[in-house]
Amino acid sequence: MPDSTPLPDSTPMPPTDPGRHLTAPATRSALRVQQQLLSAAREFLRGRGFVELLPPIIGPVTDPGARGSKQVDIDFYGHRYKLMTSAILYKQASLLAFDKIFCIAPNVRLEPLETAGTSRHLAEFHQLDVEVAGASRDDVVQLAEDLVVHMVDSAVRELPKEFAELGRDPQAFAELLKGSFGRIRHAEAVAELRGIGHPQSAEAELDWEGEALLSARRDRPFFVTDYPKGSRGFYDREHPDDPGLLRNFDLLAPEGYGELCSGSQRTNDYAEIVTRMRETGENPQKYRWYLDLVREGVPASAGFGIGVERLTRYVAGLDAVWQASAFPKLAGVVSP
Amino acid sequence: MSDLSAPGFPEEEVRRRARAGAAAAFPPAEEYGHVLFGAGQPDATGRPPRPDALDELRIVPPLFLPQRLAKLIDLGREPDYRDVELATTIGGFASALPVYVSATGSTRAAGGDLGLALSRQAGALGIPMVIGENVVPVNGYGRLGEAADRTLLGRLRAYTEELPDGLGGVAVQQSTEDADAEVWNLVHSDPAALPLLESGRLAFELKVGQGAKPGLGGMTVLEAEAAAALGDRFGLDPLFGDGRVLRAATPGTFTAEILRQQIRLMRNNYPRVRIWVKLYPGRDVAEAARVAHEAGAHAVVVDGAEGGTGWAPGVFLPHVGLPLAECLRRLAAEPPPSLLVSGRIWEGARAVKSLALGARAVGLGRAALLAVAEDRESGLRRFTECLALELRLLISALGKYAPDALDREDVWSPEGFGITPGR
Repeated sequence: MPDSTPLPDSTPMPPTDPGRHLTAPATRSALRVQQQLLSAAREFLRGRGFVELLPPIIGPVTDPGARGSKQVDIDFYGHRYKLMTSAILYKQASLLAFDKIFCIAPNVRLEPLETAGTSRHLAEFHQLDVEVAGASRDDVVQLAEDLVVHMVDSAVRELPKEFAELGRDPQAFAELLKGSFGRIRHAEAVAELRGIGHPQSAEAELDWEGEALLSARRDRPFFVTDYPKGSRGFYDREHPDDPGLLRNFDLLAPEGYGELCSGSQRTNDYAEIVTRMRETGENPQKYRWYLDLVREGVPASAGFGIGVERLTRYVAGLDAVWQASAFPKLAGVVSP
Repeated sequence: MSDLSAPGFPEEEVRRRARAGAAAAFPPAEEYGHVLFGAGQPDATGRPPRPDALDELRIVPPLFLPQRLAKLIDLGREPDYRDVELATTIGGFASALPVYVSATGSTRAAGGDLGLALSRQAGALGIPMVIGENVVPVNGYGRLGEAADRTLLGRLRAYTEELPDGLGGVAVQQSTEDADAEVWNLVHSDPAALPLLESGRLAFELKVGQGAKPGLGGMTVLEAEAAAALGDRFGLDPLFGDGRVLRAATPGTFTAEILRQQIRLMRNNYPRVRIWVKLYPGRDVAEAARVAHEAGAHAVVVDGAEGGTGWAPGVFLPHVGLPLAECLRRLAAEPPPSLLVSGRIWEGARAVKSLALGARAVGLGRAALLAVAEDRESGLRRFTECLALELRLLISALGKYAPDALDREDVWSPEGFGITPGR
């Protein structure tokens, strides 16, 4: 197997020497910004009554909803276990203990090789995962907005030197800090993209180029809501009165940085989950612990996960998401 | 044993069941891996098979040949059979012939060097090939040192190494159990598949059941030791009573909405991969084909209830599923644009009839395996040369010069099958 895949010349790649990356002033500044963002998130969420949990790293099953990426199998005493691709199943289950939870969860996704050159994919990354019992999609959209405003505000206020070092003008966040992120339905996003000549499918996830185009046309983060069924995992709740659409959302950053966060109102109905598992090609057999729990009853909920490195990249104004990681892993690239 | 007899009754079959119990629902286990099963064999009581409706059709050239005139004008000379252009597109792939190699999965018949030789020869011919289900959970993928000749990666490499530029392609199936092994995600992110992916020659085939046993999942016979290694991933049934077990995969549950959404998710997750959907010959095959096409499948594959490399209960082949000809009749009102069919295809006539009834290409299953078994180096190539010649002869006799010019007028049956009223 080759150590790396050929990439377009323009893609910034991590230095092969990890020491050079770690000692670069830009890396230090980016990681300080990241720390401030997380510290502010903890402060914000605890202030609103959330409990922070430590997420599992391995389990018999994990989130299948990661677009075309491979899960990592591990041998757990003769049983096939997975490294977590997201904490979604555990987030729903954790609501049996607390009504509002969050965690900062490591995820591993063996993304397709072509993603090594997108500047926005890492094979190993972290999500700030939030889940709220009894919440609607719109409740958590508002929560995500308030949270991001608080995180960015804190970083801008506390770290002027780091922003100067990074060459990132804090004025870039003037609109963001006012709140009122835009909201656009997936169908409207498709129409907008087609209007500017981008052939976006109405039945699929917005493609990477489409996300970047929408993102470049806006001055503050914005939500895309109501993705079509067939573009997401089985746990996103379908609109009861608008079948075929999901009560979910993505948060996209402006300036071409693209997706920061995905979330949804969850389905917690056993029969619906089993049916949706089939619709997403999954074998319900392997989700036994989760389905047993759902059958007994887990709270209705909504939640989201913010990509920590992606948010850091946007706030710090970095060229590529790997610059927001101390030890970045890109698809197909062998690195520490 | 007694001297009781029952002339005219399937006495020997009853006695076999009395001796072997549930194992008698299957062919003798010793035949597994050596005998390819299919229609056209005498039934359990020794009665010859009823004639197949597709075989009963006749190919009927007209006397007046406007398309030959067009070809004559084009060439400036009388055309002959060598002027038939067989190259076509199959489910998004360019192919040298309207022919592809059907899926061979994890069964012993397609295992070992036979599967590899098949892959090499199909690649060299520039015709698409389907890699069957359950290869990864049973034989491994091939990246972590498993015996290369049985793995999916082994077959993928063997095919790709021989493949001419711009032709062919590989369709990889994923069964319910394969979904646990994430076969598609694995292939999608593998460096070995990258050349196929980047040249648009990779497809994923969503398998809706089994052609040879509609309504059931894949079945193979395993030695007890091999079965134990599969853990709880497959249903295992020790019904042979001699240490060997029946490994039964689940057929999977589909509704129109489940099929539609699975296809959409495939398109969403693998935007550069062609999507093929394989249907068993169920009574609602036309509706399923319509759903698959509307959801964006690049090819709809109908596997007639004709045979297979795996293991089918004896009661299924003669009694269960629509014959291929009836599938084609039901699909005729609204045929999907890239309809691929398989089912006892081995010579030119059955292929031409299928193409005339709406298929874009035909799949070689047992024929391809037998041809490779006959000669590991060139068996499939020689076999295909003969098939291609027959196709050219038959298509030119109809006054046509490309497979997609064939239509229902080109075949006739005593029952009026394929004849447009008034003609």
